[in-house]
Amino acid sequence: MKAERWWNLIRMRLRSLLRRGRVEQELNRELGFPLEQQIEENLAAGMAPAEARFAALRRLGGVEQIKEECRDMRRTDYIENLGQDLRYALRALRKSPGFAAVILLTLALSIGANSAIFSVIDGVLLKPLPYPEQNRIVRVFFTGRTFPKFPLNPFDFRDFRARSRSFDALAAFTRADLQLSGSGQPAKLNAFRVTAGYFRVLGLGPERGREFDEHDEIPGNGRLVILGDRMWRTQFTATPDIIGKNITLDSQPFTVVGVMPPGAEHPGNDFHPLGYGDTVDAWWPFTFEGNPNDRGSHYMEGIGRLKAGVKPERAQAEMNGLLAQVKREHGDQGSDWQIMLIPLYQEIAGSSERLLLVLLGAVGVVLLIACVNAANLLLARAAARQRELAVRSALGAPRSRLIRQMLTESLLISLLGGSLGVAVAMGGVRALISLLPADFPRVDAIHVNAQVLAFTLLVAIAAGFLFGFVPALQVSRTDLQQGLREGGRSSTGSGRHTRLRSVLVVAEASLACVLLIGAGLMLRSLANLLRMDPGFRPEHVLTASIPLPEADYKTGEAVSRFCDQLVTNLSNIPGVRRAGAGSDLPWTGYDENTGFDIEGKKPPPNQGFHARYHYATPDYFRALGIPLVHGRFFTEADNKDAPLALIVNQAMAGRYWPHENAVGQRITFSDTPKEGDWLRIVGVVGDVKDKPNSSGAESAFWMAYLQRSNSNLSIVVRADSDPRQVLAAVRREVSRLDPSLALGDVRLMDQITDASISAPRFAFFLVGLFAALAMVLAAIGTYGVISYSVNQRTHEFGLRMALGATPWGVQRLVILQGIKLALAGVALGVVAALVLARVLRSLIYEVSAADPLTFTMVSMIVIIVALLACYLPARRATKADPTVALRAE
Amino acid sequence: MGKPSDLLQGTLDLLILKTISLEPKHGWAIAKRIEQVSNDALQITQGALYPALHRLEQQGWIRAEWRLTETGREAKFYNLTKAGRAQLEKELAQWDRLSNAVGLVIRMV
Repeated sequence: MKAERWWNLIRMRLRSLLRRGRVEQELNRELGFPLEQQIEENLAAGMAPAEARFAALRRLGGVEQIKEECRDMRRTDYIENLGQDLRYALRALRKSPGFAAVILLTLALSIGANSAIFSVIDGVLLKPLPYPEQNRIVRVFFTGRTFPKFPLNPFDFRDFRARSRSFDALAAFTRADLQLSGSGQPAKLNAFRVTAGYFRVLGLGPERGREFDEHDEIPGNGRLVILGDRMWRTQFTATPDIIGKNITLDSQPFTVVGVMPPGAEHPGNDFHPLGYGDTVDAWWPFTFEGNPNDRGSHYMEGIGRLKAGVKPERAQAEMNGLLAQVKREHGDQGSDWQIMLIPLYQEIAGSSERLLLVLLGAVGVVLLIACVNAANLLLARAAARQRELAVRSALGAPRSRLIRQMLTESLLISLLGGSLGVAVAMGGVRALISLLPADFPRVDAIHVNAQVLAFTLLVAIAAGFLFGFVPALQVSRTDLQQGLREGGRSSTGSGRHTRLRSVLVVAEASLACVLLIGAGLMLRSLANLLRMDPGFRPEHVLTASIPLPEADYKTGEAVSRFCDQLVTNLSNIPGVRRAGAGSDLPWTGYDENTGFDIEGKKPPPNQGFHARYHYATPDYFRALGIPLVHGRFFTEADNKDAPLALIVNQAMAGRYWPHENAVGQRITFSDTPKEGDWLRIVGVVGDVKDKPNSSGAESAFWMAYLQRSNSNLSIVVRADSDPRQVLAAVRREVSRLDPSLALGDVRLMDQITDASISAPRFAFFLVGLFAALAMVLAAIGTYGVISYSVNQRTHEFGLRMALGATPWGVQRLVILQGIKLALAGVALGVVAALVLARVLRSLIYEVSAADPLTFTMVSMIVIIVALLACYLPARRATKADPTVALRAE
Repeated sequence: MGKPSDLLQGTLDLLILKTISLEPKHGWAIAKRIEQVSNDALQITQGALYPALHRLEQQGWIRAEWRLTETGREAKFYNLTKAGRAQLEKELAQWDRLSNAVGLVIRMV
């Protein structure tokens, strides 16, 4: 019974759809019958034949309307009408190619730009990290008042690991590069020391061999290494039986216990950072050495995999409980350290989130403006089609049918625009990737994929509805009688249309204004960054790192000797002006801090004196171009036999000796200092900003490399001209001094400073591009409306001129109209920008989000552009010939 | 030109189904029959009748076929399907319930 009925229904629908001609014919015949019957009845009632026919028609009502309603009842008209509407829309587009081109082009550009930005967002923010159950991985930090993100102490970490119940695995790692030698060219490897379970946290297993276990963490349990896939392939020709073989790292034999598969992505780290997804060449076990009660030294980066169902907040609470226990056990009551867990995903992608969302917002505004423009163009055309629509309405097209037809047309336009937009997005994504800041996370994951295509389709459909809806409603409200009566004239309904279009233009101008203000703020911010003094002079400076193998450089003296010799040799290279060496370089994430005592000063209770410590050779500062403020730089005389010398930065001098001369003051690291334990300040140097965009510098000091040293050596070479010309000679000098050493992280300082502003430059470039696009679209919109209204008023202008108005007077009328629109747009835009600019605050540098200069300039630009857009129509208005205008009536 | 009043929409379906439940009729005859039986109290406009017929046909409650009328002209005759008969029963029961209820209220209050 049920099935039978369904079958019936389907048959009926199919019949209505497929045998349309037959159904239509039957409808005609069916509706002809009552007419004839009625006529017959009327005749029988004694009417004259003509009268009988009219009376019957009146009685029956509009046959065409009844037919249309019957068709409606058959419910297949959606599909039939769709075909009809599509054909109709295509014809309409072909008939006005200029209109079609403008509307398609703007839509393609703005939809394509949206898709391109979305594909970046999809790759960077939406796609899960390539670790199994990546949402359970968290980074573990110490956090305190002065240091919001601080590494862990190894023994603290070991206590946490032993006691915590929240994690499936908890691990720590620290950057520790290795020098590979023994076979062919020496190479510097990007390497990390990791605790047991490090790969278990990431959910990665070695392709061959095994992971480290806690047994490997005990000092003296052999030197082991796990190789990265690239290292295994390039240096060891992908030998399958490498497991168990010995290789020479840092001049010592290491046993290979595992090889990681390709795509074992590095989760990113903070100290001497390798970005997320950068290649790691080798991992070696972290060994717990030294006194377990000494908890002052923090350099391990923590990472953990939460147990299923454990929330980061709960794990963090547990960890803080454990930290309190550990503090009690080690008599540390004063410090304000807490544990902070940050989901790995957020740690990697979080920094780019704000920028990307702002870009999406900007590009969304562009699309909105393109939609407003499209709506405007459709409205203009609809005005011209008034008569046609009135006729269709009279012939029985219900209002819904007219709306549907208009929407079909706008959807067709937006979908065509969307498909062109896909092409724009393909190109756009490639351009975007090449423009992305150097340290942008997850660039490899950015593709135009199925999600992006789905997004494009959705955006296109939404845009089609958006810009089709207002014109469709407007048009379908056409008053039938008026439409038919006045249809022959172009001025039909012009008042209402023009008002609506003016509103749209004001909206466009205000949106463009918002974008321009955003771009303006970013431009100011970029200018500030370019003007900013980093604290050193990056031109012609080459830097590199040379980690020294401890096996070969056991004593500080050996390091100092190597360093002294190397710097001397480097200085003698022709074309090298200055050469220096130090423990680290600016902007590499180096953040080693120590406490100390100051001669004759007591720290406030529960606080100590502390500062970042570095080592430097005499010419380190000159090579980097860090200026001397007081006193002197180190000299060759600050050697083993001389009293210990110290150079501090201005921040440290100002902090600890605010009202006295820091030069000559003494500090010590010893609790019971003998005379030889004091370091005397010999000079004060200018501050180097901690990070490119940080407002200042933390306190820092340098010890002389000839007196104190560590094995993490970085070199700085200032050349007379392009430092790349001396690179080969620098490499030669290094390997001449020790053939087992390779130079790592070779970088040009001006490239580093350049990269440091690449994010703001990227943001400004894109927002500026979108703002320019928005401005052009808004100008087109303004031009369209003004020009349309000039056409409408030709008659009026003609009359005015005939009555003695000057051309300038007429021009003024037109221009005033445009200015009024622009002023309204600017007013709205400025208010909106004041509200919205707040989201930019973290993206701009030393500019107020309500910067008056930017706001004023942008307002003026918008008004000037509006003036330009009015100029041509205004000139046309003065050409209105009174006689032609009058004759046109 | 607005749509005809939809006030009696549900009721019109019921009237149509009932009218053709005895024998197949064409549209004109259905309208005539309803007017006649109701002593011209119910005037069915063509604009309401034909869309309703098409809707009922689409729902599978009535079926149409071309036949000759008494006057020898060809017309589209509608008759009830099995589903239509069930639907008529349902709508009649509903109508009874409704009119009883309305009657009760009118008499009581």
